[in-house]
Amino acid sequence: MAINDETRDLIRDLIDTMHAGPGSVGVAAPQIGATLRICVVDVSKSKLGRANNHGLLIMINPEILKREGAGVMREGCMSVPDYTGDVERAVEITVRFVDENGDVRQVEASGFEAVAIQHEIDHLDGILFLDRITSLKTGLFRRKKYK
Amino acid sequence: MEGSGETAMHFAVTIIGKDKPGIVAGAAEVLYRLGCNIEDSSSTLLGGEFAMILIVSHEKPFSKTRLLEDFKSFGEAMQLSVFVRTLTQDEVHQEMPSGELCMVSVYGSDQPGIVFRVTKELAERNITISDMNTRLIGTPEEPVYVLMLEAVLPEGMDIKDVSHLLEKLKKELQVEIGVKSVTPVSL
Repeated sequence: MAINDETRDLIRDLIDTMHAGPGSVGVAAPQIGATLRICVVDVSKSKLGRANNHGLLIMINPEILKREGAGVMREGCMSVPDYTGDVERAVEITVRFVDENGDVRQVEASGFEAVAIQHEIDHLDGILFLDRITSLKTGLFRRKKYK
Repeated sequence: MEGSGETAMHFAVTIIGKDKPGIVAGAAEVLYRLGCNIEDSSSTLLGGEFAMILIVSHEKPFSKTRLLEDFKSFGEAMQLSVFVRTLTQDEVHQEMPSGELCMVSVYGSDQPGIVFRVTKELAERNITISDMNTRLIGTPEEPVYVLMLEAVLPEGMDIKDVSHLLEKLKKELQVEIGVKSVTPVSL
C-alpha cells in the first residue's frame, strides 16, 4: 500500500498532537478532525508502559484480531477533559495494521499498551470511554432483598 | 467556569427524603426556573432514602433565602428535607489535591468501629477521602460489612505506604483490606 503526502502529513499531525498533550500516549485521527482510520500510540515514555511496549506505533486501518482477559483501568481522554471513568478492556490483544511505510504489521500487545491501542481504535469507531463505563459500584453493592 | 466566582454565588444544597419517583425532576425544575446552574452533583439511594448533594450557582444578585423559598412547596409536597449553605469564594476555588488516587476496600465480619478505625489511620496521615460507600451485606445470621473508599494521597506517598499502613489493622480487626491504584491514565 502506497502512503501519500496527505497521509504522511496527518501522521505528523497526530504525533505532534500526542507529544503536545501532557502525558498523552495516543491520538486518533477523528480527534483532530480527520475522518480516516489512522491512530498513533506510544506508551514507551509513560510510567505504566515503560517496561512493556513496541515504541511508537503508527497504525493505519488497525484491526484487533484477538482479545484475551479483562482488566479495569481508570481512563481519561484529551477529548473529554476533566472527566475519568473505569473501563474494562482486554489485557492482551493482537492487532494488525498498515504502518507508515505501507507494510502490514502484526503486534501482540499487553498491559497498558493494549489498553491504549483499544482506546484509540475506539475513537476510529466513534466510541468514547464514556460509552464503555460500567457502573460496577452499583452492580456490586446493590442491596439484596432477603425474605 | 473561569472567573464565574466573581459574578456568581455558589451554594451547597442537600435534599433527602423517602424515595419516590420525581425527586430529581422536581429539584431540577426548581433550579431551572430560578436560573441556577448545577455545577456538580451526586445523588444516591441509601436504605430507602434518596439523597442529593448539589453545588449550584446563580448570577449575583441572588440569595439563600430566595433558594429556600422556591424549594419550600416542592419540599413539603414531596416530604423532603432541604438544606442550603452559601459557599465562600475560598470554598468555590479550592483545588483538589494532586497526589496519587487509591481505592481502599475493606471486607469482613460486621463489628463496631470498622469505618472509624480505617478512616482515622488515613486522617492521621493527611490522606483526603474523595468518595466513600459502606454497606451491610450477607445474611442476618452472618452480617458482612463492606467499606469502599477513594482517597487522594499527599505528595510523596504511594500505594505501598497505604497498604503497609493498614496491614496492622487488617490483623487486629480480622478483615480483608485491599489497596489499589486508581490514578487515571491519560490516553
